[in-house]
Amino acid sequence: MGLKRNVGLVTGLRYQGRGPMLTFILHRIGGLGIVIFVATHMLSSFLGGPAGVFINTIYEHWAFQIFIFFCALFHAINGLRIVVLDLWPRLIEHQREAIWVEWAVFLPIYAIAVIVILSTALGG
Amino acid sequence: MEVTIKVFRYNPEKDKKPSYKAYKLEAVETDRVLDLLEKVKGYQDGTLSFRRSCAHGICGSDAMRINGMNRLACKTLVRDVGAKITVEPILGLRVIKDLIVDMKPFFDNYKKVMPWFINNDPAPEKERYQSPEARLRYDDTTKCILCACCTTSCPSFWGSDEYLGPAAFVSAHRFIFDDRDQAAGERLEIVNEVMGVSRCHTVFNCTMACPREIQITKAIGELKSALMTGKLD
Repeated sequence: MGLKRNVGLVTGLRYQGRGPMLTFILHRIGGLGIVIFVATHMLSSFLGGPAGVFINTIYEHWAFQIFIFFCALFHAINGLRIVVLDLWPRLIEHQREAIWVEWAVFLPIYAIAVIVILSTALGG
Repeated sequence: MEVTIKVFRYNPEKDKKPSYKAYKLEAVETDRVLDLLEKVKGYQDGTLSFRRSCAHGICGSDAMRINGMNRLACKTLVRDVGAKITVEPILGLRVIKDLIVDMKPFFDNYKKVMPWFINNDPAPEKERYQSPEARLRYDDTTKCILCACCTTSCPSFWGSDEYLGPAAFVSAHRFIFDDRDQAAGERLEIVNEVMGVSRCHTVFNCTMACPREIQITKAIGELKSALMTGKLD
C-alpha cells in the first residue's frame, strides 16, 4: 500500500533548491550539450558527403554555436567551482559567494562571445 | 490575515492517485505551518494525516516540502512563506498516507555507517577525556535530528534509495572525527562504497534544507578529503 518512491524529472526540477540547484541543472544540460556537439561533429566527419555537409550546417549555425558555447563555458566554470570546493572543504562555508563569483566570471565572457558570434554571423 | 494552505492528499484505501486540497483559515504572521495543519485537522478535516511530536524543532518528525522546499513545519512561520502555502511530502520515500512517508530506507542507510561510539579499550573509571578543541572538530555534525530534510532533498537519493545520503554521512562524520572513537577506518570504507560519497554532486540542497543549519556539504567534503589524503585533519 502507498505510493511508489519514484521522483519524476518534473517533480525533481520543481524542488526549490535555488541558486545551487540551478547550477546543478545547468551543469547537466551543459554536459548533454557538449555530448551532442561532439556527436554531431564525429557523425559529420564519419558520414561525409551531403549528409556530413548537412550536419555541418547545423553545428556551424550561429544559434547552435551560442547554445554550445553556453554549455561548454558554464560546464567548465561550474566544474572548476566544484573541484575547488571538493579539494578545499573549508571553502564550502562560502559556497554562496562562490556561485556569485562563478556568474561574475561566466556572464562577461559569455556576453563577449555572443557578440562576436552574432557580429561574425550577421554582420556580413 | 487569511491563509490558503494547499495540502497533498492521498489515502491508499480510497484514492488511485494523489490530489491536492486547499483549506482557507485565519492566521497571524507568527503562526507556524504546523499550527495551520493542526487547525485544519482539528476544525476542518480530521482525515488529514501528518507526523508531529515535540513541535519545537528537536524531534524531526514533521519534515515536509513547504512551498517546494524541505523544511520542518514547526520551524516555518507564515511570514516566511506567505499567505499561499503548498505542503507536500518529502521526496524519494514511499508515501503511506497524505504527508506521512515510509522512513525505513532512510534509517536503513543511517544504520549502515554504524552510528554509535566504538572504543574497545577498557572503560576508564570516570569518563573518556577529550579536549575542547577535539570536541569542537565534530561539533557541527552532533546537531543532526534525523528529520531527513537533507537526504530527501538530494537528487542522488531521488535516483536511488540505496545511496547512503547526507544524513548518514553527517552521522559518519560525527564519529570519524571523534578522536576517542576507534572505527574511523571501517566507517570510511563504508562511505567510500559505490553508493557512498562519490555520488554526492555538491548540489548543496542538503545544506540549504537542514533545519539545524549543519554545514552538510562541508562535512561530506571533509569525508572526501579524508578518503583522498588518508588523514583526519
